[in-house]
Amino acid sequence: MNALMIKGLAFAAVLMIATLAVVMSMDIDLSDPINLITMIGALVIAGLSAGVSIKYINQMKTDTATGELVDHSWDGIGEYKNELPSGWAFSFLATIIWALWYWFAGYPVNAFSQIGQYNEEVLAHQAKFEEKHKNADAATLQQMGESIFLVQCAPCHGETGDGLSGKAQDFTTRESKEQILDVIANGSDQLKYPMGAMPGGMASGADAEAIADYIVAGMKGEAPASYGVCAGCHGADGTGNGGTAPNIADYDNTLVHSVLEHGKKGIIGAMPAFKGRFTPVQEKALATYLHSLEN
Amino acid sequence: MFHWLEKNPFFFSVGVFLVIAFAGLVEILPNFAEASRPVVGLKPYTVLELAGKEVYKKDACIACHSQLIRPFKSETDRYGQVSLSGEYAYDRPFLWGSKRTGPDLHRVGNYRTTDWHENHMWDPTSVVPQSIMPAYKHMFTNIADIETAYAEAVTVKNVFATPYGDEFQGTRAAWEAHKPKVLADAKLITADMKNKDVKDAVEAGNIPEIVALIAYMNRLK
Repeated sequence: MNALMIKGLAFAAVLMIATLAVVMSMDIDLSDPINLITMIGALVIAGLSAGVSIKYINQMKTDTATGELVDHSWDGIGEYKNELPSGWAFSFLATIIWALWYWFAGYPVNAFSQIGQYNEEVLAHQAKFEEKHKNADAATLQQMGESIFLVQCAPCHGETGDGLSGKAQDFTTRESKEQILDVIANGSDQLKYPMGAMPGGMASGADAEAIADYIVAGMKGEAPASYGVCAGCHGADGTGNGGTAPNIADYDNTLVHSVLEHGKKGIIGAMPAFKGRFTPVQEKALATYLHSLEN
Repeated sequence: MFHWLEKNPFFFSVGVFLVIAFAGLVEILPNFAEASRPVVGLKPYTVLELAGKEVYKKDACIACHSQLIRPFKSETDRYGQVSLSGEYAYDRPFLWGSKRTGPDLHRVGNYRTTDWHENHMWDPTSVVPQSIMPAYKHMFTNIADIETAYAEAVTVKNVFATPYGDEFQGTRAAWEAHKPKVLADAKLITADMKNKDVKDAVEAGNIPEIVALIAYMNRLK
């Protein structure tokens, strides 16, 4: 073992110890495979650097020029006739084979779609998201709903969901008296519930006023006699007979889903449809959050 | 042959250029030709929308708003599907922008409505409290130049073969015949608006800039 070898090994040892020292001092989590592979890579690079340096420094010190020169001289600089290094030749061949596979089997001309790949990744991510939050508890849904609301809904409905003084639906109540009177007078067929369209003019005058006052007040106490005509579809408690008609007492999952799916145009203004923008779990989270705003 | 090339740097450079240029051509040209075609179902802008696009350019909306959704999940979650080259086929020029002081607008028509734009352009903080966007009240009184917008439509039809119908001709009679259609489009917008002066102006045959701009915003989907 000569002096160069000892110096090289000492250098490699210093690099490796330095690597390990950094790993220790930064308290890096080695159970994460990326961290582990990175650390092993750093150690291997340290070893290889020393090994390769030793080989070539040694060669520079001891090697003498031997071999047959090629005929051509490049401005006085010659070149030995050498065999192609076998490692290089094999990798070159492997690259050619891989290129044939790539062109004809892997990604034939025009077969790759960046948008398609992106869509597949998004779908996979959403499936993972749905799976993860399949049985999410109320607190998680509430938090998720709030963050979706602040990005997607707050620009129109306001950060607190109060509808910015009548510019959009006010989520602190289910509906206002004007909205109820408007729907009673004009009917509605926007949300595509199984019960079908609600015709306009099912009640009028004092009857309509009584219904509106009753619903706005939270549907407590004795229902006015005229409410009977509403109860047929929306149910005596206004919750919509288990999803066959819109819930007029509260924001539930079906109502939130239907409005997102079809959009809505009422006396306040129009809301565009948000079809396909949210996953089922996200819609449920929004419904949870809206429900909490009302109470 | 190669020895000869090595002794002639000029021809060597020419050879290198040819090789690289060929690789560039086979990579770029087919892709470019494919991507610059309009996407299926894309329609040219109506005259009212073109007038709105002019307002967008004139008031430099592009200085703060982009119209290009990049393929990142954070962007597609917020703004919608990734933008495709073919969607800009009738944009002359396209208004991609490079600055997002405000949000991207490429699909704003999917999640904002006429009445929201009306509130927002009159006083942005009334709907978005932290907004730093200035109010654009002058758009409610300035009258949009729909005649120039019509001329633009006829020009791109003649120069770039944009598929406008036969009724688009560079004559005054053709414009007079088309004008009621523009006013009808404008009335569809004002039906959802609340500002009385704007409604009256459209009834009187003058289209305020805000109406044209909202038509353009609603078109961005």
